[in-house]
Amino acid sequence: MSELLYSAPELLLKGSDKKLDGGTITSVVITGLTVVFIGLILLILFVSIYGKAFDFFNKKKAAKAKAESEAKLKEAAKGAPVPKAAVVKSDTPAPVVEDGIGDEVVAVIAAAIAAMGAANGKKLALRSIKTAKGARSAWASAGAVENTRPF
Amino acid sequence: MADLANQSGFAGFLADGGWKNIIMILISFLFMYLAIAKGFEPLLLLPISFGMLLTNLPFAEMYHPEYWEYIEGVKEQSGIINDHYIDYGRILQHGGLLDILYCGVKLQIYPPLIFLGIGAMTDFGPLIANPKSFLLGAAAQGGIFFTFIGAALLNMSAAECGSIAIIGGADGPTAIYVSSRLLSKTDTIGVGTIALAAYTYMALVPIIQPPIMRALTTKKERSVVMGQLRSVSKIEKLIFPILVTVIISLMVPSAAPLVGMLMFGNLLKESGCCDRIAKTAQNELMNIITIFLGVSVGATTRADKILTLSFGKVILLGVIAFSIGTACGILLGKLMYVISRGKINPLIGSAGVSAVPMAARVSQKVGQEEVPTNYLLMHAMGPNVAGVIGSAVAAGVLLSIVQV
Repeated sequence: MSELLYSAPELLLKGSDKKLDGGTITSVVITGLTVVFIGLILLILFVSIYGKAFDFFNKKKAAKAKAESEAKLKEAAKGAPVPKAAVVKSDTPAPVVEDGIGDEVVAVIAAAIAAMGAANGKKLALRSIKTAKGARSAWASAGAVENTRPF
Repeated sequence: MADLANQSGFAGFLADGGWKNIIMILISFLFMYLAIAKGFEPLLLLPISFGMLLTNLPFAEMYHPEYWEYIEGVKEQSGIINDHYIDYGRILQHGGLLDILYCGVKLQIYPPLIFLGIGAMTDFGPLIANPKSFLLGAAAQGGIFFTFIGAALLNMSAAECGSIAIIGGADGPTAIYVSSRLLSKTDTIGVGTIALAAYTYMALVPIIQPPIMRALTTKKERSVVMGQLRSVSKIEKLIFPILVTVIISLMVPSAAPLVGMLMFGNLLKESGCCDRIAKTAQNELMNIITIFLGVSVGATTRADKILTLSFGKVILLGVIAFSIGTACGILLGKLMYVISRGKINPLIGSAGVSAVPMAARVSQKVGQEEVPTNYLLMHAMGPNVAGVIGSAVAAGVLLSIVQV
């Protein structure tokens, strides 16, 4: 190539050059940091863009799959007779559940406590379910330890 | 009998300057002790220290520094006058074992192959999940360029400045790659000196970094618990190495051997269809190259090259490079803490100095001193692997600016 794409003051040093002047040193530092930052910022842009694109497609896919499974459930429910729910009388009040905790989580906790009660022969009551503040749960901590052990 | 005694290595110690070899052998024992008893980067420090021992045994003839001196004014077949000619034919015919192994360093074969292995072992998931980590990896390279200033102020040559500065990248193969390209016989330091300083400081990361991290951050900043990273799909992990190779190699072509091999190794791992090759790159190949690289780099630490004032300068500037790199990462981490309104823990910034995974482990440890249940490790792995890419880019920049 006879002509260079960019034209700027040349910053080339010979390996044996000594007594580098202030201007040259400053140019090396500024050029070096600028190139490193530009290179990595370009990577941030590309990685973010394709990350968002894949996120979008994955969410769309998940939503479609959810809609399909719900439609199948509805179809199945139409044909089958609805059983009457048994009315269970209970002397303990329903537990106070904090907002944001799903029914599945409540069911799992209630089942675990019921199993503990059954094992000990005691009748345990679930009064309330709250998220612990600050610290992560024992299960999450155990999981984190397990995943980070190789490092 | 007298002739035999005169030909023995013991006589070599009594010859002119032989005492320097004894000191170097004692230093090699010290490094062996640090590697074996203290566990300081043993995989590299032990081969380096043994190479140091072998090369300083008089008359062992395993390594000949004079063979590696550039011959000036050699006219090549193409008619070009080469001032950096090395007679590899002579080395292959008359060189010792360590001379032959050193060819891989001088021809810049080992460092990219080590990068291949590192790539095959690295999970770039945390970096893809949080691409902002790249910024921390870039900031920590400040140590490289600011140390260039320090070396220049000490009146070192441009090649020496570049070789010492790259120690701040906290990446052994990169330091060896740059210094083996730049340094020549007119320089007062050798590749072995740079490698020794780089690996020693990498081993000392858990000691050097925490005081700087604590000094530059508040208790509140260190206590930030970061949210969980999003899960990264396989296809994202597959695209990443190809994307990085193309962008970085187009931008800084001299960084292509290091970045290209790093990303090739990663693609082998992520592709899932080359398990055998990926495992070889991670284990057998990496181990073989580590032995060759360590022993041959250790061999360059001849007494006449090491026991000089310049070695003291390298040691001093090396620790400055590491400290500035750590500080730059933390300071950008603090800025990101402010911009993100307290969602980013600045401690992960120090991991941007490469030294995988040691620097990330240090971020985790310092973070847990404040909140014992805080797991910063995966968040710190992002800047940590970004630092590897960043230091390879910085190496490319130095090689583009400083011409041999």
